[in-house]
Amino acid sequence: MTKSYIVFGRRITAQLTFAIGMALVFIFSLIPAVGILIISFTDIRSLPFLPVRWVGLENYETFFSSAQIGYNVIALRNTFVFAFAVTIFQNVLALLIAVLLNQRLRGRNFARAAVFLPTILGVTVIGLIFTLLFNPSAGPAQQLWGAFGSSSAFFGDPSLAMTLVIVVQVWSGIGVAVVIYLAGLQAIAPELYEVADIDGATSGQKLRHVTIPLLAPAVTANTLLCIIGALQSYQLIYVLTGPINPATQVLSLAIFTQGFGGAQGGTVQSQGYAAAISMVQFVIVAIVSLLSLAYLRRRETVL
Amino acid sequence: MATTMLRGRRARLTTGLITLAVGTSLALAGCAGGAPATSASVPTDTAAVTGELNVLVSSASGSDAGFKAVNDAFAAKYPDVKVNFTAVPNENYNQARSSRLSAGTIDVGLANPKELPSYVPESNKGDDARLADAGGFVDLTDQAFMKKFNPSVLDKIKYAGRNFTVPTGLSYYSGLTYNKKIFADNNIQIPKTWDEFLAVCQQLKDKGITPISIGGKDTGGIVMLSVVQGLYPTAQNKQDLAKGLYEYTVALNTDKQVEVLQKVQQIYTFGQSNFAGSNYNEMTSQFLNGKAAMISDGTWNVGSLRKAEKQVDFGYFPLPASNNAADNANLGGKVELTLAVPTNAKNKDAAMAWLAFFADNYKLFNDKAGFAPSQEGVEGDPFYAEIAPYTKNFEPAWDTIWIANTKAGQAAALPFNWNAVKPMGSMDAQGAADAAQKDWEAGR
Repeated sequence: MTKSYIVFGRRITAQLTFAIGMALVFIFSLIPAVGILIISFTDIRSLPFLPVRWVGLENYETFFSSAQIGYNVIALRNTFVFAFAVTIFQNVLALLIAVLLNQRLRGRNFARAAVFLPTILGVTVIGLIFTLLFNPSAGPAQQLWGAFGSSSAFFGDPSLAMTLVIVVQVWSGIGVAVVIYLAGLQAIAPELYEVADIDGATSGQKLRHVTIPLLAPAVTANTLLCIIGALQSYQLIYVLTGPINPATQVLSLAIFTQGFGGAQGGTVQSQGYAAAISMVQFVIVAIVSLLSLAYLRRRETVL
Repeated sequence: MATTMLRGRRARLTTGLITLAVGTSLALAGCAGGAPATSASVPTDTAAVTGELNVLVSSASGSDAGFKAVNDAFAAKYPDVKVNFTAVPNENYNQARSSRLSAGTIDVGLANPKELPSYVPESNKGDDARLADAGGFVDLTDQAFMKKFNPSVLDKIKYAGRNFTVPTGLSYYSGLTYNKKIFADNNIQIPKTWDEFLAVCQQLKDKGITPISIGGKDTGGIVMLSVVQGLYPTAQNKQDLAKGLYEYTVALNTDKQVEVLQKVQQIYTFGQSNFAGSNYNEMTSQFLNGKAAMISDGTWNVGSLRKAEKQVDFGYFPLPASNNAADNANLGGKVELTLAVPTNAKNKDAAMAWLAFFADNYKLFNDKAGFAPSQEGVEGDPFYAEIAPYTKNFEPAWDTIWIANTKAGQAAALPFNWNAVKPMGSMDAQGAADAAQKDWEAGR
């Protein structure tokens, strides 16, 4: 007979707690998700008085139509570039900063707070800060560019806008990644480093053979959070470069502009169409996340 | 047996889940059926008007101040009404309106139902026209207060022969605001043709003055609309163009259509450096600081320019995109914010009383808003008397005539692909026009 473990003293307490948690997931995640799938087959406009018609696959056909596919492929490419670059840079930088902040340094707590600070700032505040910083007429960045005899429109430059948005996204999200890595670093037993010292390992070797393997679960968590977050992110892009800038158009921004008409001068479809883009995005995020998870779990085992 | 029961339970659960999801999504969408009553009247008894009045508009500093002045005066006359005034940024207005309309918490809001010409497929009908068709707005045509407004303006905003909206004023935006002192100091006359305009821009540039300040991030499209006004000067010209495009007898990458983008590209060369990254405030400050001689903007900015700390003596003239001076004689414009009462408004009495009060006290609003007045006999900013020669024949701007094709691609949305032209985008005029034509053809 299997022994049952009673975590909170009474079985009913555990069941009740679980039931409340599941109910919340059901109401706030599962039902809206199924709702989105259903309305993606309608021409819903989210306005009173207007009838809702079942349009079958029409919204999906529009998304993949020859008129929209070019734009959507660019949005998809931008989404992947954005997600890939943010994931790589945010993780590498966060790991280096976490390793540095894990040393006994003077002002370590202040440095940790400073790194975490952008996380608590709102998107609009971050947008305002960087809009001023990269003001093309007289911002500090322009003056710096000027010192090298150059100038730029920054967020208005189609070849530079995406790079800058990635930089801002990494800056704003690095705090959480650093905290996760710091927690992982502090869980590594100091004895392991002592053993490595006795064996004559250099700092680089300790990082490669002790720190990174033992941080693998934190790397998995950070990478997945980063990939999912970046694939769904649009707020910073919206604030920094506007809703219909082709250079920084990503799928989530297309959903927002189509769904809520943020694209002035752009064609505004029904919210059913926005829901269809959401479903396409959901499938992409799910595939990428599951593949990444499988790969990272395998790496954890190897390490 | 147990398996069957489990399957049965799962099936019920799935059905229940789907029903709940459909119900929730449809309820959230607020798709209540049935034709609502579209009539309402202004209460005659002031004391009978009570409760909360929710007013939702899109925000601009001038019009916000105008609405606040009206609200204050209204509150003094109707002390039992609590006015909840909300002004949201332009780009978020549709989102805010959609959720609040569904909740029935708009008593006075904005609407702009547009007639669909016969050549435009029904699928392109806008949300406001659909709402008006479904009886979503109170029909204001026969209200006594509507007689206060200029009949020709009311004619322009009629939908299906009825007036569902109250016009708050007119704006013109196919021109350039210019610094009179810079023009006088450099002995520059207002250019009447394209060649004269290019010569003026070059002269200013040679003197180290930025000819035109452009807000690439916010209002870059005004340049394109101004060029279209000069090349297609009358409403009929624009309607013919729209019809030709929808009937595929006119292409976006040939003739005058590509000339629009070529001229846009030329104008871009006279913008401030890196204007593609400039927002509206940066654009305005370039002009106010005397760094730029002209500004590509609408007359809606008059109120803000007047209120600026640093005063500039300014005027306004049509951007002369044609070499035929007669084609550049008029400014293209639009009827500004148009107010409507949704039929699901919770306090229709107060809404109708507020609109009547607005009509009676229009000057109070417009003195702050700075629009060209929509009521006859109401004096606007002296600026409008100056530009009267350009506005005596009201010409609708291109974006008020054009109805976007939802089946076409994004490059053909307006359908001139102005934001793909360097430095806003990465193409030259012909490349941008070809891309627009490709996207337009794809929607055929």
